[in-house]
Amino acid sequence: MSRAVPNLMGLALLPSALFFALFFFLPIGLMAVMSFLTGNPVVMPNVVATTRHYERILEDPFYFEVMWTTVRIGLWTTAITLLLGYPLAHLMARVKSRSLHALLLMAVLMPMLTGIVVRTFAWMALLSDKGVVNQLLQGLGFAPMQLMYNEFGIVLGLVHIYLPFMILTLTGVIGRIDERLEQAAQNLGASPIRAFVEVTLPLSVPGILAGSLLVFALAISAYVTPILMGGFQIMTLPILIYQQISANFNIGFAAALGMVLLALSLVLVVAYNHILAALSGQRDLQ
Amino acid sequence: MSARIELSAVSKSYDGGARAVDAIDMTIEPGEFFSLLGPSGCGKTTTLRMIAGFETPTDGVIRVGGADITRVPAHKRDMGMVFQNYALFPHRTVRENVAFGLRMRGMARAAIARKVDEALAMVALTGFEDRRPGQLSGGQQQRVALARAIVIQPRVLLCDEPLGALDKKLRQSMQFELKQLQKTLGVTLVFVTHDQEEALAMSDRIAVLNGGKVEQVGTPVEIYDRPATRFVADFIGDTNLFRGEIVPAGAGVALKVSPELVLPLPAAPAASGLVSVALRPEKVRLAAGTDANAITPGTVESANFQGGHVLYRVALPGNRHLLVQSRNDGSGAPLPAGAPVSLSWAPADLVILKD
Repeated sequence: MSRAVPNLMGLALLPSALFFALFFFLPIGLMAVMSFLTGNPVVMPNVVATTRHYERILEDPFYFEVMWTTVRIGLWTTAITLLLGYPLAHLMARVKSRSLHALLLMAVLMPMLTGIVVRTFAWMALLSDKGVVNQLLQGLGFAPMQLMYNEFGIVLGLVHIYLPFMILTLTGVIGRIDERLEQAAQNLGASPIRAFVEVTLPLSVPGILAGSLLVFALAISAYVTPILMGGFQIMTLPILIYQQISANFNIGFAAALGMVLLALSLVLVVAYNHILAALSGQRDLQ
Repeated sequence: MSARIELSAVSKSYDGGARAVDAIDMTIEPGEFFSLLGPSGCGKTTTLRMIAGFETPTDGVIRVGGADITRVPAHKRDMGMVFQNYALFPHRTVRENVAFGLRMRGMARAAIARKVDEALAMVALTGFEDRRPGQLSGGQQQRVALARAIVIQPRVLLCDEPLGALDKKLRQSMQFELKQLQKTLGVTLVFVTHDQEEALAMSDRIAVLNGGKVEQVGTPVEIYDRPATRFVADFIGDTNLFRGEIVPAGAGVALKVSPELVLPLPAAPAASGLVSVALRPEKVRLAAGTDANAITPGTVESANFQGGHVLYRVALPGNRHLLVQSRNDGSGAPLPAGAPVSLSWAPADLVILKD
């Protein structure tokens, strides 16, 4: 009887294990293999192993530029969602009134009910050269501004889309921090701001970490928003990969770029973990 | 160093709802060990939180050392507080936890280190400086919380059921330690508890709260022996409650509980008509057999041997019952059920209550 339970648990895990193997490890494995081949072995008989895709990435500074743009957009998006999301998440975690909490939650979740494409088009209607904002500026006698087809537009669009992920992640973590800890700090003479900085902020580091990684990973792999808001003026890794597959039919090179994107996020995840763990003095986070 | 705390007509209601605290008046003397005692929801914790500054009274004034602090923010009140769950900072070591209040006061590093060592020595936790709260037992965490609260040398120490999470043995030894520490420091201590034994054992004075109102303020002996209200008599310890009509009896007056049961009263009460009285089980003398001088006869219904004493449930005339606690004087087995007994007590032990 006692041995039947773990077996049952194992059985219950089987579907998700299969799903992961089929749709996660297998594609990534295939991508890794493809990045070292001269072509697609399914359609070409004389495929050989090569490192030329990686050499190409390393030799051409253009690809470094693309990588850096992608990471820069990811960092800006993460930093801004964190700064905008934290106060709201703190409020949501601490608000006493149930109806106000429900209202805030709805406000956070509501945008997610609309598709990314629709929301991005809404931004375009607002921010394009002849959009609402520029018409308004000109009407008031100001010069029109370049608000999209640049990194600013992309970051704005991404912040809008990924802010809920940051808020929900942070709310969960902050909500589990006992409010009495902050009160204890105040009782010992810390002003409310000082109490927050000394107690709540360091204890919410796991949430900051999780939310930032989630938003960063989503932002550097975003495709729709950078295309629509950037109008192909800004080249990011996902756009480049898509072009390599759909326009150049260079699957091997696209796979190599995909591996670079993966490695980039992994390196940043590990680095970020270490930095925040060191900052908060919580060694168990590493 | 210690300060007087005065609450006048302090009320607290949430979102216009019922009053959690309803026009409380009390004065807590400097250096006093003062308990707020009552069942959950009686307003004791809310009262403490208003003194600490975590809640703002809806009405009324709180003064500490003569100064009105009703609207002073919590971090400027200079009070130590021990929270129910200790509220130790989990990401800080014991030393950092205790040093926190001193650091907020901008004290020099060397002075902080010395004071922290002193405070930890006072609660017998020397050697635990570098542990995290999660690595300590409940009793040790409790001591850290205490050290953290007293190291800032507060005028007032507030304790919200600080011993609630400890097991019974540890609880008793901590009761002695806390009391001892309070006397040594001479600090005014406000102690919230729902445990009447704890309040009786530790306090100089107790305020019994019920439904947001003060039922009675007094020394433990006053609260126990002379409860003012039916609630206090019932809440503190075991008690026998009778309700009856005041009737003249000979030279004085008596309480007519039923036609068969008339109990002599010590003095004419201020109230007339129906009143309630309380009688503690250990104040009743129980003797086997019948005795014409006894106040009332009875019949043993059950006897509960508890080691140091026997708790009898005795049937009285008129279908009433009386709990009697009889000291185990070594005279043998308790009286069997059905044994006739005679019961007597000093009329003054019958306490007339306000409803």
